[in-house]
Amino acid sequence: MTDSAPMLDHGQFSKLFPFHFIVDADMRVIDTGSVLARVCPKIVPGALINDHFLLFRLASEPIKAFNRDFIARQENTLFVFKSTSTDLMLRCQVLILRDPERYLFLGSPWVRNPTELKALHLVLQDFALHDSTVDLLQLVQATSTSLHDAKQLSEKLEQRVADRTAELSMANAELSRVMRSKDDFLSAMSHELRTPLNAILGLSESLAEGVYGDMNTKQVKSINTIAESGHHLLALINDLLDIAKIGAGKMELELTKANVEDLCQASLRFVMEQAQKQKINLKLVMDNQSVMLTADERRLKQILVNLLSNAVKFTPNGGSVTLETKCDLESESLMFSVRDTGIGIATEDLKRLFSPFTQLDSKLSRQYAGTGLGLTLVMKLVELHGGSVAVESEIGKGSCFTVRIPCKGLDTLNQHNPSGTISLTEITPAETLPSNTPLILVADDNEINLMTVTDYLRANKLRVIQARDGLEAVKMVREHIPSLVLMDIQMPLMDGLDAIAHLRADDKHTDMPIIALTSRAMVGDRERCIAVGANDYLSKPVNMKQLVKTIRAHLPNDETL
Amino acid sequence: MYGMVNKSVQALVTTKFGIDKWEEIKQKAGVTIEAFISNESYPDAMTYGLIGAATEVLKLSADEILFAFGEFWVLNTARQDYGDLLSSAGRNMPEFLDYLPMFHTRVALIFPHLKPPRFECSDRQADRITMHYFSHRPGLSVFVRGLFSGIAKMYDTPAQITQTKFKDKGDDHDEFLVCWGDAIQKSG
Repeated sequence: MTDSAPMLDHGQFSKLFPFHFIVDADMRVIDTGSVLARVCPKIVPGALINDHFLLFRLASEPIKAFNRDFIARQENTLFVFKSTSTDLMLRCQVLILRDPERYLFLGSPWVRNPTELKALHLVLQDFALHDSTVDLLQLVQATSTSLHDAKQLSEKLEQRVADRTAELSMANAELSRVMRSKDDFLSAMSHELRTPLNAILGLSESLAEGVYGDMNTKQVKSINTIAESGHHLLALINDLLDIAKIGAGKMELELTKANVEDLCQASLRFVMEQAQKQKINLKLVMDNQSVMLTADERRLKQILVNLLSNAVKFTPNGGSVTLETKCDLESESLMFSVRDTGIGIATEDLKRLFSPFTQLDSKLSRQYAGTGLGLTLVMKLVELHGGSVAVESEIGKGSCFTVRIPCKGLDTLNQHNPSGTISLTEITPAETLPSNTPLILVADDNEINLMTVTDYLRANKLRVIQARDGLEAVKMVREHIPSLVLMDIQMPLMDGLDAIAHLRADDKHTDMPIIALTSRAMVGDRERCIAVGANDYLSKPVNMKQLVKTIRAHLPNDETL
Repeated sequence: MYGMVNKSVQALVTTKFGIDKWEEIKQKAGVTIEAFISNESYPDAMTYGLIGAATEVLKLSADEILFAFGEFWVLNTARQDYGDLLSSAGRNMPEFLDYLPMFHTRVALIFPHLKPPRFECSDRQADRITMHYFSHRPGLSVFVRGLFSGIAKMYDTPAQITQTKFKDKGDDHDEFLVCWGDAIQKSG
């Protein structure tokens, strides 16, 4: 100590260093701090410090027999003592005092958390104010509390996540159940709605044809309205079921190689009658007439018919509707464009166009009947093919819907085939099935019946040609010599009975199987049909499975289905 | 304000009145925090908002709530958050009160952003002590009275707490006379 160092009395020194102790050269206690004396009452003056403290050194056993020489060598080292009677550990610095030789240990308890403090029966006031041990303890406690809070928060959040996940799982399970119910419902609806609807349509047709007697004009008008509404309802149900099927991922495409021209012709024929009524000029423009496309033929036709029907519907009398096909060899896709000179669509309405049940103007929905599902279905069917739909339109000038269907290895059977515009009068049905496949002539003046039966027979691997009246039926039989004829009885120009009689009068066609199809479910109808030469008779609405079964029964054995 | 204060309000309400009341109070106060972190700083307005909403939802006066809150703070929240450190702050109530200024000084050192209040002691006698409370936060003197009452209960020492100076009545700080033992009879 220098002369300027303060001289402290024992009380002051003890207040500053309440855990100090002083030993002599023999390691006997001379003095202790007030708190150490309280905590270790046996450390009294004269006691041998080695009896009460072990000296700790890192990485070695505690040293019991420490002496003055050892301490003198370690003067600049931190001393850690462990009480032999309590859990108290003291961390100290030693000062060697001279005259007489004494060793002063200054320090404080080594505690790492408040619990140790309690175990040692120490309170915070036992520490000198300058001792940062208490700050350290307070900091440790605060950190521990913060960690505890954070853990609790984390547990709370984990619980919330778990609850949410459980809720989501339940919601998902419920959703799956609802989806299953929906599928079941749709399946039931498909059957339950179509069955009575078939009866409504069949009976309407029979009534309209006078099967149950003559009707006055008002009654005819009413029955036609019933029939139209029934067909509209059937279209709506079919569209809904298709959309639901696609939505549920249950619609699988039946990909086959299809002749694009045939596909276009068949689609155009479907709208021909309506186009003729409105004096609309229907055109087919192809850049290559022999192109083949791998697609689901039935669905592709559904796409084109939807677009063509819309085009005809929204085109005023005397306008034109063009179906245009274009091969894009670079992107390996085929473009079908349906262009009309109709009322057009405003730019702001284009984005709503493909939403379900959307008719852009409520006035239009009254003027132009439609399911409101057609374009939605088109979009979904095109997407199912991996394609896209684009639309360009101008109010008052018309619209153009372009469907792009990807087609890897776009196959042009005849590269030299000229491109050009084909007049509809040139359109003739063609088949993509092998030529030894049975060829069926379907004669019916009702486009829906014609398409339904055609689609079903084609789906059953039969080639089909069509006629819309008795005269055309006779002409086509002579030209194509089909394997079998399905003859509707009520037809314009020449009815089915006369057509059968004409064919049977020709020696070439005496053995050709003819099945009469009629809604005349009256007593004696069958006999009349058989009498003129029909081989069999089926009444409408016809069960498709039964129809195929009947066809199979009448086809020669070497013509397989 | 210390997150521990808000945590304490939450614990008091949920313990005494149920979780639904707490959610109602939180909603009324516009507080969306899921859980408070003790040593984090939160806006004072949030704490005042929670206490204000509690008076409405629980249909109790602000003084009743603040006093109960003070007692609860010591007997539950501080006990839980400070653990053994709290009981190590004194072997008896007078020692604890004597150490209170130092305790807050250390909190201010460790968490200067929390701006804790300052306590001072004077007139230490065998059966009484005068406690001085300095805070820039208004309206919490009843809470402090509840704190002292809680400390007395923690040490099972019947005590009488009397506020002798009032900051909200013009004094420069709040002052409390804490009496125990014979002093209670003398003053009573």
